[in-house]
Amino acid sequence: MKITRSLAAMTAAGAALALGACGTQSGSGSGSDGDGDDTGSGASITWDMWAGSESDIEALEAQLAIAQEENPDLDISLQHAPWNDYFTKLTTNLASGNVACVTSMNGQRLSGYHEAFMPLGEEELATAGIDPADFTEGSLDIMSYDGELYGIPYDVAAMLVYYNKDMFADAGVPEPAAGWTFEDFDAALDGLGTDGTAFGMGMGEFQWMALPIAHAGVQPVDESGALDLTNPAFLEASEWYASIAADGHGSLPPSASDTGWGEQEYQAGNVAMAVDGTWNASSYLNNEAGFAAGMVDIPSVDGERLGLVLGSGYGISADCENPEAALQVLGSLVGEAAQDQIASSGRSYPARISSQPLYFESLDEGVQDEVQAAFEAVFTGLEGQRSTDDWAQVNESIQPNLVTVYTGQSTMTDVLEQTQSQFGD
Amino acid sequence: MTATGASAAPLRRGQSRLRRIESRQALGFISPALAGLTVFTIAPVILSIVMSLYDWPAWGDRTFVGGGNYVDLFTRHPDFWPSLRNSAIFTLLFVPMNLAVSLTLALLLSPRIKGRAVFRVLFFIPVVTPMVANVLVWKMLLQPNGLFNGLSTSMFGIELPSFLSHPQWAMVMVVVMSVWQGMGYNMLIFCAALEQLPEPVLEAARIDGAKGWRMFSRITLPLLSPAIFFTTVMTMITSMQVFAQPQLLTGGGPGNATIPIVMFIYDQAFTFQQMGLAAAAAWILFAIIIGLTALQFSAQKRWVHYEV
Repeated sequence: MKITRSLAAMTAAGAALALGACGTQSGSGSGSDGDGDDTGSGASITWDMWAGSESDIEALEAQLAIAQEENPDLDISLQHAPWNDYFTKLTTNLASGNVACVTSMNGQRLSGYHEAFMPLGEEELATAGIDPADFTEGSLDIMSYDGELYGIPYDVAAMLVYYNKDMFADAGVPEPAAGWTFEDFDAALDGLGTDGTAFGMGMGEFQWMALPIAHAGVQPVDESGALDLTNPAFLEASEWYASIAADGHGSLPPSASDTGWGEQEYQAGNVAMAVDGTWNASSYLNNEAGFAAGMVDIPSVDGERLGLVLGSGYGISADCENPEAALQVLGSLVGEAAQDQIASSGRSYPARISSQPLYFESLDEGVQDEVQAAFEAVFTGLEGQRSTDDWAQVNESIQPNLVTVYTGQSTMTDVLEQTQSQFGD
Repeated sequence: MTATGASAAPLRRGQSRLRRIESRQALGFISPALAGLTVFTIAPVILSIVMSLYDWPAWGDRTFVGGGNYVDLFTRHPDFWPSLRNSAIFTLLFVPMNLAVSLTLALLLSPRIKGRAVFRVLFFIPVVTPMVANVLVWKMLLQPNGLFNGLSTSMFGIELPSFLSHPQWAMVMVVVMSVWQGMGYNMLIFCAALEQLPEPVLEAARIDGAKGWRMFSRITLPLLSPAIFFTTVMTMITSMQVFAQPQLLTGGGPGNATIPIVMFIYDQAFTFQQMGLAAAAAWILFAIIIGLTALQFSAQKRWVHYEV
């Protein structure tokens, strides 16, 4: 029996060790998951964030060090997962009631997760030491849902048209300039030819939707928050977008599993233009294919351009037991020092206005002015993205059907009408 | 060992005491396995039955809906029937092709040819190569600027269809890639079965003049029928559970042309966070697999020959 008992004890100890080793955690914290258990001085706060590589983790640890220095009485630890796994892990954590007090959230996905976050009113912002005026105009919309603020953005982003200067020069087509129109865009497509190398067709959410939204001047979700994919203006603009493929200008995704098709084709130097977010600006400038990359804002209709402000931020989980300490950590993570660190590393364009010049200074001198001009053009007159509770599902549902549209097996109208009837009210 | 009548009773008592101790010890030894089975198999199975009867979001309030999820799947969900259809098409194409190819390979490799072990290893390599790597290679072969189309246009001037973005071709290519990937496994089973064929029966048949196709269809195939039955059942089960190939090769598209039922379950649970609906679909899949397997077992009496 002694043997049985010791065997059972060893099994239990082994299981505890194995289960305990499942999380990925680093930083200065004690490693406790139960953040917010303590109150006041010495409270432990966990910060949950996505990170895909060693350099990502190093950058996050530098920010953690800043937050720790600013809050010496708190015990802050970092928990991370790769971007592709982050939301699955977050969903699992939510299901098991184990969400980190400071949780990172992508603005486009907030609608599906807003219930998991604590609304931030004036009192909470004061506790975190945050003045909304310090952040890019409209950027708080990124972390807002239904008029309620659920987090503070750490970066802002917008969609751009990236172009290959070498291919434009070879085709003898003038390069686009800030403030260009859709007529200019169509003329550029015609000049670049119909061999499928003019434009990389988008598969991702805003990689395809940004142009139809700007063309139509409406978002596919109306002001009341209802899905509006079949808005006649949006339908017409989406059909125009599909015609880029039909006319032979577009490089078509060979499979529905190529979710980043347009951007990949652009980065490989196979197409002259593609739509992608500002977050990829520095990686496109330093592309491995070796072409000269340019960027310009989304075209306008008669000078009127509807662009959306995108980005990510940090929120406080709704069931955090020590929201006050978590707010202090949040204040530090979007504070001046941490934002300066994000900007000067060139990793993303910070939401805090005073840190933004550092982003351009981090780029090669030769491209600084051009990137700054493009960013200044694209970050004016933006509006917040509206979304429904099941916005992520709507996009997941549209994506595999885009291939059938681009290859002419179905029409954009059919796909959008079908999605509207499935997810609309 | 002998025992007198007088000592038989104490011996039995001793034996039963020993048996009790031994069974307790045995229970102690298997308890970690039992605990694992309970925590990781029995409990999730029971939970998934309960889950399938609820509107069960990933988090938030859960409400009891009874058979509502099942009704929803069969009557309202736009992707459920197509995913069942896709799984059925995949199974109907994949199982016969897989068996035919792997049996042919086994027959070609069964004579004592030189270097057959090398060929066996070569054909088995795709089985043990990670699926992601296999799919990447096939994607490079199949896409419009890939190897197949490049060869076809440069050598014959013929433009091949865009295999992975065409609804019918996409399913065909998922099947072809899966057959290439999985043929080595069944080939090994058939190779082993071919080596175990009873030599006296084969020799008697040869003496009687059987050879070629007649030898194969009348003697070899019936002798192989237990192996064929085993591989048919196992291949059918795995093909009803196909997931990785369409997920990685075609993303379930174009449209919903290649979404199999398991991918549908995955999407409902982890993309759309409808755990209840996913659990109900999983139980429907379980019922279909059990039904098909039972059908195969009942039909085996007609064509499987265990006795020599």
